[in-house]
Order: sequence, then C-alpha cells, then structure tokens
Amino acid sequence: MSPVSRAQVEDFLFAEAALLDAWKLDEWLGLFEPGATSEVPTTDRPNADPESAQFYVADDYALIAARVKRLKSRHAHAENPHSRTRRLVTNVRVTQNGGDTVRADAAFLIYKIRDGNVDSFVGRYEHTLAVHGDTLKFRRRKAILELEVLRPGGRLSFIV
Amino acid sequence: MSVLTSPAAAGMASSAGRFVIEDWDNRVFRVNREAFRSEEVFQRERQRIWDHSWLYLGHESEVPKPNDFKARNLGGRPLIFTRDSLGRVRVYLNACPHRGTILCRETEGSARVYQCFYHAWTFANTGELVGIPDEAAYPPERSFVENNGLRSVPRMENHRGFVFISFDPHVGSLSDHLAEAADYIDLMADHAQGGLEVVPGTHLYGIRGNWKLAVENAMDGYHFSPTHVTFVEYLKSTGYVTSDEGGRAIAFRNGHSVLLFSGHGGRVGMQWEPRFGAEERVRTEANVKALAGRVGDARAKRISGTSRILFVFPNLILFDIEGLAARQLEPTAAGYTEVRAWELAPVGEDPAARALRIRVLGSFIGPGGLATPDDVEAYECIQRGVLATAGDSRPYVDWSDISRGMERESKGEPARSIDEAGLRSFWRHWNSIVEPVSR
Repeated sequence: MSPVSRAQVEDFLFAEAALLDAWKLDEWLGLFEPGATSEVPTTDRPNADPESAQFYVADDYALIAARVKRLKSRHAHAENPHSRTRRLVTNVRVTQNGGDTVRADAAFLIYKIRDGNVDSFVGRYEHTLAVHGDTLKFRRRKAILELEVLRPGGRLSFIV
Repeated sequence: MSVLTSPAAAGMASSAGRFVIEDWDNRVFRVNREAFRSEEVFQRERQRIWDHSWLYLGHESEVPKPNDFKARNLGGRPLIFTRDSLGRVRVYLNACPHRGTILCRETEGSARVYQCFYHAWTFANTGELVGIPDEAAYPPERSFVENNGLRSVPRMENHRGFVFISFDPHVGSLSDHLAEAADYIDLMADHAQGGLEVVPGTHLYGIRGNWKLAVENAMDGYHFSPTHVTFVEYLKSTGYVTSDEGGRAIAFRNGHSVLLFSGHGGRVGMQWEPRFGAEERVRTEANVKALAGRVGDARAKRISGTSRILFVFPNLILFDIEGLAARQLEPTAAGYTEVRAWELAPVGEDPAARALRIRVLGSFIGPGGLATPDDVEAYECIQRGVLATAGDSRPYVDWSDISRGMERESKGEPARSIDEAGLRSFWRHWNSIVEPVSR
C-alpha cells in the first residue's frame, strides 16, 4: 500500500468542511468508521484524556450519530434555524503514515454567523484517519480550540 | 414595599414595586423586563450584591497542593485563589499593592512567590512583601513593608470544600447566608467518605444574556420537556425514562432554592440503570451500602435516591443529577454573563466509574452537550426578545410571568418541580436588595 499523500488528506478534510458548511450531516456521519470517536477538549486542558477529564465533546460512535439526529431535528433549538458557517482548513500535515492509519494535523478557522453575530472558532485538528483502500475514514476525530474561553459566542451547538 | 425573606412569611403577602409584582388575590407574579436590560440595574447588582454578598469562588480541590493557584475574576475583580506554602487556602486581589499591575498573569500553576514584572516587587504566597529592588530608597520602618503586602479578600470561608468569599468585611457569617442551602451542599459533599474533587477540564463560556436568566433556567423544571425534546429523545433511545412525578421545588431564605427529582433516575454510583452496565450495578450496590453505614439509612436514601439542582444566591448552581457539577455565574454586563462549570467526583473513585460519570454527564451538560446549547438559545432569545417591550407602559406588556404553581401554593399544596416557587423566592430576595432607591 502506497503512503497516503497530503493531497489525499486535504481532499478528505476539504470535502468534510463542505459537507458541514452545507449541513449535510448524514453524509458527514458517513465519513466515520463504526466505533470511531469525536472529541473537543476543554480550552484549559487541551491534551487531556476523556476517560479522566471533562470535555466539551467526547462522543463515541453512538453519540456522534445521536448528535447528527438531534441537529437534523427542528427541536434542536440552538441550531434552528441553522447557523451559517464557513470553515477554512489549512496547514495540513500528515504527521504519521503507518499501515492502516494516518495521523493528520491541520489548522482551522470557523466563522459561525447567526442572529447578527459573527463568532470565530480557531484551533487545530489532530485526527487519526483509517485507510480503507482508496478512501479515508475518521477513526478518532479531534478538534482542539485555541480560544481561552468560548467567547463571545459560547456554544458548540454545531460541529467544530 | 414590604421585604419578604422567609418562605413562610412570603407565602401569601402581596406587593407591587418597580421590578416585581406579587398579587396573591389573583395568584400572579410578574417581573419587569427592565431587570434584564438595564445597565443601571447591573451596576446596582455589582455594588449591592457582588460587593456585599457571599460569593462562590471555587472548590478547594482546584488547588490541591501547597503553592497551587488559579487566577479568576469574581464580581469583575481579578483574584488569585491559592494554597500557600503552609497549606492554607488564601484568596488575594490579583493587583500589585505597589501600582495595581496584574500580579499573576497565568490562569493557573504553582508559585511560591509572585513577582510583579513592572518593578519586580516580590510577594510570598503567604502574603508578605519579600523583595523590593533598591529598597534603601524607601522608608526604613518595618511598617512600610507590612503595609504593602498582598491584599487578601476581606472575608473567606470554606464550607465542606466549597470556598466562598466576600468583598464586604462586615458581611454576616457564611452559615447565616447559606441557611437551609447548607444541608443540600452537605448532601453533595457526603457522596464520598474522602470528599469530592474537581475533575480536570473546565467549561468556560460566555452567554449573550443576563445572569438572572441563567438562574431562572436552572431552577425551572417547566422548560425541560419543550426545550430539551431532542435530549429526551436521545435518553429514551438509551432506555432511560424521565418523569416529573414526585418532583419538588423548595424555596429557602436568602434567595436560595432547590429542585428535587425522584422520578429522574440514573445517578452514577448512587442509582443504577441499565445504560450504566453490569459492572456499575455491582459498584453502586456496594457504594450505597457503604454510604448507609457512614451516614445512616435515612440520609443515605436522601443522598442516593433523589436528584437535586441547588441554587445558592447569587452565583452558584450545584447539580447533583446523573453526575455532580458546579456552575458559577460571572455577569460582565446587563446582557452578558461568563459561565464556568466544573464536574465534581468522589476522591479515590474507581477509574471505570469515573469514566462512566464523565461520559454520562458530558452528553447532557455544557456548551457542547446535547441539552445546554438549547438553554443558551433560550437565554439569548429572551435577551433579544425583551427589547420588544422596552418602555411600553401598557399594563402587563413589559412584564414576564412567573406565576406557575401559585394556585397550588395558595391551597397549601407543596410546589412541584415544574412550578416556579424557587424563581419567586430568588426574585423576592433580589428585589429586596436591588429595588430600594438607596442603600
């Protein structure tokens, strides 16, 4: 198996960003392999372990699916109507390239626009991607915010 | 207007003022929406509540070892919360006594001394000024050094690990302030023989809403079903059942109140349910048995069998639900509030139980949970919505209704958790402080 290139990882992350900005959440869920996890640590403990620390998001696969189901409901009041979002994903690096997984890091800047406010969420991704032939899937998706505090907009009601 | 503080006296007394109308003839309670909008009201709250009441600062386990510190604003004042080199919890104003520079510019860490970067004055974490560059240029008297030590907050008391401070040196005792709420803090502290500790990882977020909306939301069982439809659907999909049956709202003195839920189920280490798994069942049975041995059957049943949300006026909400959490409110403007939330857990807890506790509570609470964002949406929508009626003098129009349950109360029936008895007690106490023209 040839090593996964940066261009392949970029294509994957850019496609993910497009799905999220379009609120195509079922398709987004399809980017995860069963058993995958998704994490957003708190801003004061960015390197913590979700087994022993409080996180903003520490979803197992069932909870990722539950989050998608919730966000598709018109009763997900925090995102009804949906925020407009635009994600800039850049500085992509393949930091480990071994066998059936790659470790991919990237920087993100997400603008979230709603109710007259433009909130920015800046941070980095530290993903572990599973290699399935020509396609990549999330095995461990991790978004680390550089913010000190979620401020001025204080809700991760959408996917960062 | 008359000032009413005890729940019994408050029972049926009517009053009408600038901010609160309580009308028992018609069983109606209203709050004027200026209370959420007005910067003048916010300034009164800062001066009369935050500068004079007891305030929740943090849990002693946040600074477990000598020299540990956390820097945190409270009532708009920057503070250093530390355990000094002798092991004593201390709270200092985070401003150099020399010129007022922020002394500690880290948010947390370990420090035996604090050195101001501006002129390099150095202070021991026990408070003494221990270093002044070119000291010979200052008066030789010992009093000069003594008068320039770290400034402590005027009052600090520790209740079962929960550290409270006051900026008013003449405030009454913390136990007088906590009144009946103290016993409910104790029910939480009694969860474990070794006490509670803060779990690493703090939820830090801002909301575009008045702090009182966050108080109302926490003590309002009525919103749970409509606001949290998607969370309840998720719970049902995991086999969890919720019910309002048997839930109670209890108002205490000094604006505190508690919601009790017995039909809520599912408390890690206390009340097992299938989604927690077989191993947790064994742990829970052993834990509850040990609890009964330690505090007696009756108290063990209160601790383990009931979920509680406790509001301690003015800035602390304690959740004793699926897991344990403390939420602190720091208003920064009439329309903006910073929230800090810590998860608490028994010291020495089994790692598997700890992981389960974190997972179960995390799915619900916090800005990335499946429920809290919808609460935030409610605060923010109210903060925007109350602009609609500003200055509208027609009767009832610029007023929010908080009458739910007065009909039941007027017949002498206990308040249900979906009633607003706790909100009314909060508003009565708030109004007794904020409404008077001068104090």
